Amino acid sequence: MAVLLLVFGYGTYRLVTEATERKGRGVGLQNVRIVLDDPLFRSAIGHNLRLLLALPILTALALLVAILLNEALRGWRVHRFAVFLPYVLPIPVVGVIFSQVLTLHGVLNQGLDAIGLGGLSEDWLGQPRWALSAVGAVIVWKELGFGVVLFLSRLLSLPADVFEAARVDGAGFWRLHTKITLPLLRPIIAFYLVIEGITLVSWVFNYVFTLTRGGPADATQVAETYIYSTATTYNAPSLAASAACVLMVGVFAMMVAFTIARARLAEDDR
Amino acid sequence: MRRPRLTTSISQVLLWLFTLAALVPVYVMVSASLRTQSDFLNHPFGLPLAPSLTSFRTALNDQFPRWLFNSLVLSGGSVLVTLAFASLAAWGFARHRFRGRETLLNVIVALMVVPPVVLVVPLFLLGVQLDLINTFRLVIVIYVGLMLPFSIYMLTAYFRTVPSALLDAAIVDGATEVQVFRRIVLPLSKAPLLTLLVVNLLWVWNELLIALVFLQSDDSRTLMAGLTAFQNRYNLDIPVVMAGLTLATLPIFILYLFGQRYFMRGLVAGAIKGE
Amino acid sequence: MRNNRRRRLLAVGGALAIAATAAACGSSGSGTGTPTTAAATGASTASAAPVKLTMWWWGDQEAAGLKAYVAESVKLYETAHPNITIDTVLQSTDNLVPAFQAAAQAKQGPDIQYFWGGIYTLEPYWAGSITPISDLVGAAEADHYVNRSEVTAEGKVVTAGWYIQPSFPLLVRTDVLARAGIAAAPTSWDELISDCKTLRGKGITPIAGGIKDGWFGGWLYSILGSQSASAADVKSAVIGDAKFTDPGQAAWWAKLKESVDAKCWNDDIGSVDLYQGQQQWSDGKAAMTVTAGTDVRKFLTQVGADKVVVSPLPPFGTGPGANKLGSTSQTLGVTSFSQHKTEAAAFITFLHTQERLQAFYKATGAFPADDRFDTSAIVEPQLKALHDLATSGAPYLENFIPSELDAKAVFVGSQGIFAGTTTPEKAAADMQATIERLRTTNPDLVSNFKKWAAQ
Repeated sequence: MAVLLLVFGYGTYRLVTEATERKGRGVGLQNVRIVLDDPLFRSAIGHNLRLLLALPILTALALLVAILLNEALRGWRVHRFAVFLPYVLPIPVVGVIFSQVLTLHGVLNQGLDAIGLGGLSEDWLGQPRWALSAVGAVIVWKELGFGVVLFLSRLLSLPADVFEAARVDGAGFWRLHTKITLPLLRPIIAFYLVIEGITLVSWVFNYVFTLTRGGPADATQVAETYIYSTATTYNAPSLAASAACVLMVGVFAMMVAFTIARARLAEDDR
Repeated sequence: MRRPRLTTSISQVLLWLFTLAALVPVYVMVSASLRTQSDFLNHPFGLPLAPSLTSFRTALNDQFPRWLFNSLVLSGGSVLVTLAFASLAAWGFARHRFRGRETLLNVIVALMVVPPVVLVVPLFLLGVQLDLINTFRLVIVIYVGLMLPFSIYMLTAYFRTVPSALLDAAIVDGATEVQVFRRIVLPLSKAPLLTLLVVNLLWVWNELLIALVFLQSDDSRTLMAGLTAFQNRYNLDIPVVMAGLTLATLPIFILYLFGQRYFMRGLVAGAIKGE
Repeated sequence: MRNNRRRRLLAVGGALAIAATAAACGSSGSGTGTPTTAAATGASTASAAPVKLTMWWWGDQEAAGLKAYVAESVKLYETAHPNITIDTVLQSTDNLVPAFQAAAQAKQGPDIQYFWGGIYTLEPYWAGSITPISDLVGAAEADHYVNRSEVTAEGKVVTAGWYIQPSFPLLVRTDVLARAGIAAAPTSWDELISDCKTLRGKGITPIAGGIKDGWFGGWLYSILGSQSASAADVKSAVIGDAKFTDPGQAAWWAKLKESVDAKCWNDDIGSVDLYQGQQQWSDGKAAMTVTAGTDVRKFLTQVGADKVVVSPLPPFGTGPGANKLGSTSQTLGVTSFSQHKTEAAAFITFLHTQERLQAFYKATGAFPADDRFDTSAIVEPQLKALHDLATSGAPYLENFIPSELDAKAVFVGSQGIFAGTTTPEKAAADMQATIERLRTTNPDLVSNFKKWAAQ
């Protein structure tokens, strides 16, 4: 009985996936060539890759906060609540807030002015030089909390005496954490890297769509916005589909590469 | 205290900085929504000393209630269906040996990384064929499809930890498999199910791309898709936009306030299994 | 064991990737549905049967008061025709085109759709999504629509002009100019540039705009580009008989750059939308702004009519658009997938009755696109001048290039010029490269444009 229902449940699911991967015949690879030749698509992929640069920053910050929280004696629950809050907010909401906050005369620059750092103001979203970094920063702002909670829960589950022993041996903050904490957290850091890597390559649509719509001057076009506008605004679903499968191959390739890398690492450990 | 004072205070300062950075944008949103445009533009960080609900009234008089309702229906419907399917499927994976079980499970895991945007074009064409554009049915099916991989994966891992001795004993006592599932397994799995409920609700509530493409009519638009139109419509009246955002955030914030545990546990649980 | 599983995962992942790719990459071709040939005949139903019409439109972002007018018209019409109900759905600027594309593919959605003029009407028509209005209301009625030539294809008027868009006047605040000691609004390009410098010297923003969402780029193209290129020039560049890098076609990029270098524009133009930029003008922080002609009355009442001069952009060229406004009409059309084409067309005709035309002007201050509109209703001198400018207007250039070229080259190029990340030469070369690319990705485009250019 359960199996029957399982088949049904899985069947429904299968239907969804089947339907998505079918729809074929026709000129085949010609479309893929057209898409690959499009400078806009190339720069979109380039932007995806540049967004990946946010990954180490994000991870390092999350680790730092998690370690600080782990060591904090009081109030860590309050901080954890606050730091995790952005992760819960709807991305469109975050996008709209920051598109207000980051204008040239927006809240951030006024804040900088107020504390005497007016020289640092930039037209964060209006200047092609900065826009992609600004989008990256917003993503870091929102995704940070996830990493913190993840790392913190692992840290809390570690036996305290490991740290105590090291501290008695006179290890400082830096040594303690690079020599002991990091190795212990390695698997979970790897997991976080994968999840956020996927986010930064194939789930940034919501951010870009609400922050910049791909502008200014295409500085924040990413694969997803390219596919979206090709399919809808420019009414070329077949080109969009070709771009989509290029993206999918890319994501799978990344995943496979990562799995291999991890397997290698695991073997080295032995 | 064994640690030097300095380190402690530095870390306190750092922590407060991070906390502030996380809270300030949220504060700006809420405080702007309670004030007038000029007040906000002149003092972006000011306190809402004379709070006014005008902006909220404007937002609510627009199509907000309708969008809110749509989002509730969609999130509720798709998450419940997902949980039902996922728990049955996971049960099958955890308890029944069949050919290709591991392969199938691995395929499902691999599906977690498929970018939704890849599915938009083919699914839209399918929706056109079946005449299902602008219907909740199709979107719920898509959402369920997108949520199932993670849900099945997580529940399978959990069900495998249920001691089989317990289940075998029940079967010896004459319970059918369905009874075992309903009376023993499900009650034992309250925590992971709640976790999935929360995590999936969050995801559906916040989803924009699919809602934007598949639900174009006014009657079916979701809150997030509505918000982007709303921002466009009121871009000269920041407080109204912010009031809209606040309204859209409220349900999820309340959920977070009371279900913080499940949010965090759910994400962590998913992660640790994924290692 | 764990290791083993990992390998299997890897293998499966790889296999899946290959399979999925093979399947997904096959998808192609079949995108565009066959155009449904106008089947208006089936719609002549008995008038008593209840009919629900859906109208998708753009709201009153460029003509304040339009929402109230539409609501009133719907109510009047429903009272007169008890079997008909009309549902109006607002679309945002960024969603107007994508939403309709999706609806057209799904063959469900609006019966009546709002279209911008020219290419924004013809593209969906070429895709088979519109039933020509002249087939539904008759050529005699369609002859009254102002600017119908820009939406005429193969001898048919595709959609019904709704209101005229005088595109796009420069609004000058004399009170703000006076603060900088400037006595009169600029009348030539060089004067404009020197006024910019004077105003900047006094810390006043010369011209306010907003280009974050890109659309303003199309406006700039139209008001600057038409000073040295005609609609026919532009069409021939699309087809390939001319180039967007030709001196006449590309001159506007350099002029735009010149104005940016003279600091004519608000410093935050890159991070605000157009309407937010215009707000700075209303607030008295900027001396000039460019606006939709339909919205002029709103701005006049905002700051006081006696302080405002309405004029075309001070000219630098001698082309068809120099010292003139463009003139286009925003239109309403009946979709080819509508089940109630006759009823939909009847509602559009209702909007063109004398009483509704006058009411339109009264409600919005914009001019209905119908030559039966009694212009004696226009009393404000600026609006009278605007109406004259619009009726003697030049074609609106943005409406004569493919919308994809507009977004990918004009929007993007002007954002780049404002940000200083591209040069006029590069922007023109990019525009040329984009059209060359479009000719391969969308071969129908060239043949459609050829037909259009020939008529």
